[in-house]
Amino acid sequence: MSRLQRAGWAAASIAVGIAMIGIWQFIAWHKLVSPVFLPGPDQTWAALVDGFENGMLGEQTLETVERMIYGWVLASLLGTGLGALIGSSRRARELIAPTLEFIRPLPSSAMIPVGIAFFGLTKSMVVGVVAFGSIWPMLLATIHGFSAVEPRLIEVGRVLKLSRLQMAFKIAFPNAMPDIFAAMRLGLITALILSVVGEILAFQGGLGSHILEASRAYRSPDLFAGVIVLGMIGLTSNLVLSFLEARFLRWRRP
Amino acid sequence: MKWQGFILPAGLVLTAEACARIFGISSDSLAAPSQILKAAWMLLADGSLFVMTGQTLLSAVAGLLLGGCAGLVLAVVLGLSPTLTRLLRYPIEALRPIPSIAVLPIFLMVYGFGYRMEIAIIAFACFWPNLIIGQAAVSGIEPRLLEVSRVLGLGFVGRVTKIVLPAALPRLFLAFRLAAAISLIVSVTVEIAMNPQGLGYELMAAQNSLRPEVMFAILLYIGLLGWGLNALLLFAQQRLFGAAGTAQVPR
Amino acid sequence: MDRSTSNADDALIAFRNVSLSLGGRPILENINLKVRRREFICVVGPSGCGKTTLLRLIAGLVHPDAGEVIYDGQVVGEPASDVALIFQDYSKALLPWRTASGNVSLALEASGTPKPERAQRIRALLDKVGLAHHADKYPAQLSGGMQQRLQIARCLAQGPSVLLMDEPFGALDAMTRQVLQDEVLRIAESGHTSVFFVTHDLEEAIYLGDRVVALRPNPGRVAEIFDVRLPRPRDQLSTREDPEFMRLRRVLFDFIQETES
Repeated sequence: MSRLQRAGWAAASIAVGIAMIGIWQFIAWHKLVSPVFLPGPDQTWAALVDGFENGMLGEQTLETVERMIYGWVLASLLGTGLGALIGSSRRARELIAPTLEFIRPLPSSAMIPVGIAFFGLTKSMVVGVVAFGSIWPMLLATIHGFSAVEPRLIEVGRVLKLSRLQMAFKIAFPNAMPDIFAAMRLGLITALILSVVGEILAFQGGLGSHILEASRAYRSPDLFAGVIVLGMIGLTSNLVLSFLEARFLRWRRP
Repeated sequence: MKWQGFILPAGLVLTAEACARIFGISSDSLAAPSQILKAAWMLLADGSLFVMTGQTLLSAVAGLLLGGCAGLVLAVVLGLSPTLTRLLRYPIEALRPIPSIAVLPIFLMVYGFGYRMEIAIIAFACFWPNLIIGQAAVSGIEPRLLEVSRVLGLGFVGRVTKIVLPAALPRLFLAFRLAAAISLIVSVTVEIAMNPQGLGYELMAAQNSLRPEVMFAILLYIGLLGWGLNALLLFAQQRLFGAAGTAQVPR
Repeated sequence: MDRSTSNADDALIAFRNVSLSLGGRPILENINLKVRRREFICVVGPSGCGKTTLLRLIAGLVHPDAGEVIYDGQVVGEPASDVALIFQDYSKALLPWRTASGNVSLALEASGTPKPERAQRIRALLDKVGLAHHADKYPAQLSGGMQQRLQIARCLAQGPSVLLMDEPFGALDAMTRQVLQDEVLRIAESGHTSVFFVTHDLEEAIYLGDRVVALRPNPGRVAEIFDVRLPRPRDQLSTREDPEFMRLRRVLFDFIQETES
């Protein structure tokens, strides 16, 4: 497909998106769905603008993003660090990995009550729970990446007389990078979801509280504005990670 | 699983029990394994565990079927039509990253508490993996097979049921397995966050009423349920499709 | 220079009554073999004769059950920093996440070469194997022949006294193989390096070697050692047309035929 054709399809696809918003507007205008539940795009847009200009939406967005990122960074650092330690030792792997495999399918939100029991209903609890819940993908991926090094590369390391530390940093860690990146992507979405759930439960501000309050008060434009912001956070973080992945994993593309 | 795998959990349980016995901990956040076991037995004995499991699984299965089927239908249509795929590319990319929990207040507002709200959210969450993986599976079908269907003069329905679905089945099942895991995760999450029914709610209620032994009993049970469900579907996948079906997808 | 006339006391590598089994299966039995300094020795034999194991013993990647392997007067324990090993599967032996220069750099980092010196040495080494213009490419972007050149460059970065080569050109096309054969000869000559070259290609063994060691399989034993009295420098055309070359080829061919049957 030529560049021109690609641009044409992209334009057509965006036009479809705009048309869908048009249909949404049409439904809202003609009240095909009760406006209590479905605000029009115009009202939603107005709520979005008003929320950022006069209301708390900007502040709440920052709060949620902050929690998500703190929790996620904490989980990434701890997950990769612990994963590297466990993954580098065969004995540690045999001891710990089966237990982790059991924990893996456990919904990370199920850790929230445990988090509340330990940390109470505070702001640090939300960050703690976010970190605790999103650490598993990173941990498991790092263990896997560290243990699944091509045997030939380990021999190369032995012949070159690399130290244990050099082996970990120059061979095992880069080898685990693709796994870690995939897990960090998953972990970020988990962190966002857990931040919102934590906010809903703990009433600690943030977008979670915003959408919940809007929903309770049947202020559907505010609610939709909040949902759109959450979608934008998801979309943006995904794009940022894709960009980083493309940069750091350039060697994977021939 | 090798026997070494049991050392850590067994050690943890024994240490926790020993600590509880020696120091006599009676905390609001921790419980001795024996107490947890007793709480689990109570939950089993009075049948409440079955009730909450039923509530959670009913929502999960209904949501999985609704969202999964919708995703599958769209996946087949998009997989067979490159034009439609290109046209819907940006709308899908814009909607997909909305975290499933964000639609909770919308459905809460529309349906109130109960099954319908929970099922709708689960359906939303299960829709995406089926759509994305399913579309990749359908568009990855050997073109020669589609030519065969054309030569045979099959109509659209015939083409889908006789050629497309059987050819894409292993990967579609993979998508289904992924969606099943998601359905359980989302149902528990919705129950913890909002909906007063099912395992998630009881877990949260146990915490609220400061009964850590019940909380941990339900937590372990949810873990067991998720693990068992995953093992069951993995087993089914291997039985049905052999090694071809076990390939991992990026998650 | 006739390199085969140096005396036996000058042995750089020596196998003394070496036996080895892996997983209960005898691989090598009572191997006695000496490699002289600056000698180019080629090892041939049917599959399953333990050629590769011989080489891994010198590298210190495996250890004998009985007997000993001597390198430079010492019993081989852990891998030595001046013994370089070139693997057959070059695509697996390169770090896919490092560029060509990054892969060469790995050997320099391992030996503790100060950072300021590395760039220049890397450039010189890549230049030596003809990859000067591909320094910033990743292994996946290089052809098979170029990947193997890169592996050679990394091994040369170790400043080796011995190059251990495990069927290094087995997976390459005929033209590339001939070019690389001549390059290895040139590198060995100019660096005064001993080469222990495992191959299943009889002509390659004769073309490159000062001596050719033929192994017998199940378990691997040294069957015979052939002196190659062909003038150096070798030439792809004239050497291969030399009557001595053809005589050796015949002898070795018959030998392999006999052991495989």
